Amino acid sequence: MADPVKALLDRHRVLCQRAVDPLEIAAGLEAHGLTDRTAARFRHRDVFSLAEELYARVPRDGDVLVAPSAADATATGAAPGASGVAEGSGVTGAGTSGPSGASRPSRPSGPSGGLGWALTVLLPGVVGGAALVGVASTGGAVRTAVGAAGGVGFAVALAGSLRRGPLRGTGRMRPGTRAWMGLAFCFLVAYAAYGDGVLGALLDGRPAEGPWPLAPAQLLGLACSVAPAAWCAHLFAVRARRSLAHSRGLADFAAGTRPLLVATVALYMGALTALLTLVGPAFGAPVPAAPAPHGATRPFAPLEEGAGTMGQALPAVALGTLLFVARLLTVHGYPRSAATGLLAAGAAEALALGSVLAGRLPGWEPLARPVGTVVGTWGAGAVPALACGAAALALLARATAVLARASAHAPT
Amino acid sequence: MRIGLLTDGGYPYASGESRVWCDRLVRGLAQHEFHLYALGAPTPRAGRGPALPPQVARVRTAPAREPRDSRPYGRRDRRRFTTHFRQLADAVCGERNEGGGGGDFAAGLYGLADLARERGGLRSALRSEDAVRALESACRAPGARRGPHVATLSDHLALAERLEHALRPLSLPWYGEEDGLGAVDLCHAAAGGRTALPGLLAKRFFGVSLLVTEYGVPLRAHYLAAEGTPAVRALLAAFHRLLAAEVYRQAAVITPGTTHIRRWQEKCGADRAKLRTVHPGMDADRFAAVGERVDAVTTGGDTADARTLVWVGRVEPTKDLVTLLHAFAEVRRARPEARLRLIAAPGRGPASAAYLAHCGALAARLFPDEARFFSQDSGGADGAAAVGRAAVTFEPLGDGGGLAEAYAAGCVTVLSSVVEGFPVGLVEAMLCGRATVSTDVGAVVEVIGGTGLVVAPRDPRALADACLALLGDPERRARLGAAARARALELFTVDQNLAAFRSLYLELLSRAPVRRDAETVDAEGGPLPFAHPAEAFLPGLWTGRGSTPAWAEPAVGAYAGGGRG
Repeated sequence: MADPVKALLDRHRVLCQRAVDPLEIAAGLEAHGLTDRTAARFRHRDVFSLAEELYARVPRDGDVLVAPSAADATATGAAPGASGVAEGSGVTGAGTSGPSGASRPSRPSGPSGGLGWALTVLLPGVVGGAALVGVASTGGAVRTAVGAAGGVGFAVALAGSLRRGPLRGTGRMRPGTRAWMGLAFCFLVAYAAYGDGVLGALLDGRPAEGPWPLAPAQLLGLACSVAPAAWCAHLFAVRARRSLAHSRGLADFAAGTRPLLVATVALYMGALTALLTLVGPAFGAPVPAAPAPHGATRPFAPLEEGAGTMGQALPAVALGTLLFVARLLTVHGYPRSAATGLLAAGAAEALALGSVLAGRLPGWEPLARPVGTVVGTWGAGAVPALACGAAALALLARATAVLARASAHAPT
Repeated sequence: MRIGLLTDGGYPYASGESRVWCDRLVRGLAQHEFHLYALGAPTPRAGRGPALPPQVARVRTAPAREPRDSRPYGRRDRRRFTTHFRQLADAVCGERNEGGGGGDFAAGLYGLADLARERGGLRSALRSEDAVRALESACRAPGARRGPHVATLSDHLALAERLEHALRPLSLPWYGEEDGLGAVDLCHAAAGGRTALPGLLAKRFFGVSLLVTEYGVPLRAHYLAAEGTPAVRALLAAFHRLLAAEVYRQAAVITPGTTHIRRWQEKCGADRAKLRTVHPGMDADRFAAVGERVDAVTTGGDTADARTLVWVGRVEPTKDLVTLLHAFAEVRRARPEARLRLIAAPGRGPASAAYLAHCGALAARLFPDEARFFSQDSGGADGAAAVGRAAVTFEPLGDGGGLAEAYAAGCVTVLSSVVEGFPVGLVEAMLCGRATVSTDVGAVVEVIGGTGLVVAPRDPRALADACLALLGDPERRARLGAAARARALELFTVDQNLAAFRSLYLELLSRAPVRRDAETVDAEGGPLPFAHPAEAFLPGLWTGRGSTPAWAEPAVGAYAGGGRG
């Protein structure tokens, strides 16, 4: 006599093999129309006991560890599926923190969405270069207009490149954090542009007159480095996501990700240094901002006289590394640490300027002496280099601890 | 009294499965005051939402999109969180294990709820490394089952994300003493599982009784929709089972809609003494005219209508029109004058359109030149005459009052579905006083209860035999039709549904009234006598809020806090 349960098992083989417990089989059977009276035909009291028998009889592969290739395929195939279910089940109107591309069906892209970002991140460098060329080749009121337009265009291009792609933040920052970070960023960039000149002027004892001298090479180098920053961030995210699928545990993952992070930051530093070395000689000629009363034009970066392009590049490299590590922290969900680092660097630079200013007051000269010593020994570029470098090291230490966690790389 | 209605699926603003009966409940029990707590409903802009009846005093929503990250915890709170989450994870991983799992689900859940209430949201903690580490160690613990044991790191991350979504009600700001669930007398959850989670917490924090109504099985829906690797699915299923069991344990009364759902509830651990079956209610006034009509069909005469089989519904593959068409071919062989009218409501999605085309092709093949298709714009006298001549007709359902007339168009209503929950079409046919032939799926047997014929699904011959039996016996048709209408009027009307809930509310409140200490003291802190008299739990507003007689002056001071209805 044919075993009716066996026939049922054959008909619902996929359901039974996929099931993780008897209740799932019962739910599937009822979805196909089985009732308790039908279960009586199989000599069971109700659908639940029939499901228990089916669960016991089917050879399941749900509990056994299948071959790694199949497991990886299910894992990576399931991750977009899981995020898709989570999106569909509850998160219908996700706001700015929308899917970061992990649920795009067109290609199994990693965490950075499509390839549109690859072109967008080149824009800040292009716009900055065009603006500086315009400023260098025009004069007078046109120069001011070109400079202003260039500045606005650069800001827009930078905002655009930070909105998509691997440099996009998670979008869940609190407004206070976002404001502080924006403020610190603006101050750091302004200091990189004008700060050396201002510091030199203050230490010389002259009151600040006219438009301050501008340091274009550093700014252009930083603007062009947005593209390598995006590529390095993308590389880091993709490699980390891949090792997430392969590692056996949290400690395993952390041990593999820490060297990856350090290597990524080193790669970015190398790229930035190369860019600055290329850009420096092209824009190194000082553009006189205003004829100085003493007749001696103060050069842009005092280091230009002495230490050569490497020394000139050092504050820019430090600032660029600080911004890169801060952005990495923000992208992976730690905006408060990033904001703290940026604020600390900005505060250090402001403190240096403030101490020099305060040193002008009668009786407060000792305040200006440390900064004066530093500037005298290593040049005015040493102040931002020290401030940004220390902050960058601190943020790097924090990132090593924090970005090696698996929860920072969770596919959302 | 104040009833806190907990819905998922967005009543009152979005539409979902529970929207219709929630709306009927709120409008029908106008003497109570309702506070609506809707999970997953977007908050509409002011003045744009649908009009709510005046007995809805407060609506609070929790949108479905992801909330902002909460402030991360300090060290002591992180330790508390890790302890409770580890308890929860141990219970989830070790459930159904032969040696009994470690961990206590309820303790973990309520510990997390306390933490969320004191310290703000759980979201950042649930997505932090602590949670993933706790999950990993729980899965590797010796008491865990085999399935979680092989979970990979991606599985842990996916599971942490799903648990965060499932535990989102814990972080909502709904648990205030004055402006939240602490101000209601009774929580009525529109479904079990995650929807009833605020009710669980209200019971724990304020002692408010919980009433759970289920017209569907959330656990079954979860199983059918689950995706992911086996380990993730196993753990999520264990979590939902434990949550359902906890809800059933804490609920004072559980009302399933049908016996079908009741079985699932008992299987998940509901106590039999708490279960009361309350059938869903339907509007019977629409069908009163047809149901009470005395014409040739009901008195057993032999007219054209008296030879017609009718099927009304939405064309979907689960309705199994193929079996019906084959059965009708057999019927027509025995009785050449029989006719079949398929009156279809507009289908949802491309699958139903494809199925309709498939059935049309089958009908054209089985009944060459005798099948007719009518679209919306072919009507009028010519249409009716054309209907009269054809053997099988596919007609669209007219809007408005067409439903009752659709059932009135034939003498026997047929239902041949292979999958059915609560058969709404069948109840409508019963209210129209028609004899029915249906397949044994879902809650059909319970609904019919002997006033119609029931056959096995996917069996054209049995279906044909039943139809022929009824077509040939007019008196039996009339008897069954009258019995069906009486049964439907007794069991499936809105009135009986509302009466059942009204009495349940009173019963629950009489068993476990909520005593708020803040209402028993007056402004100076002295005791306020008669703050909770027995009449406080009567339905209706017995004092307060403008209900002073015309000859009295409005009271000030002492009884300002005592007015409750």
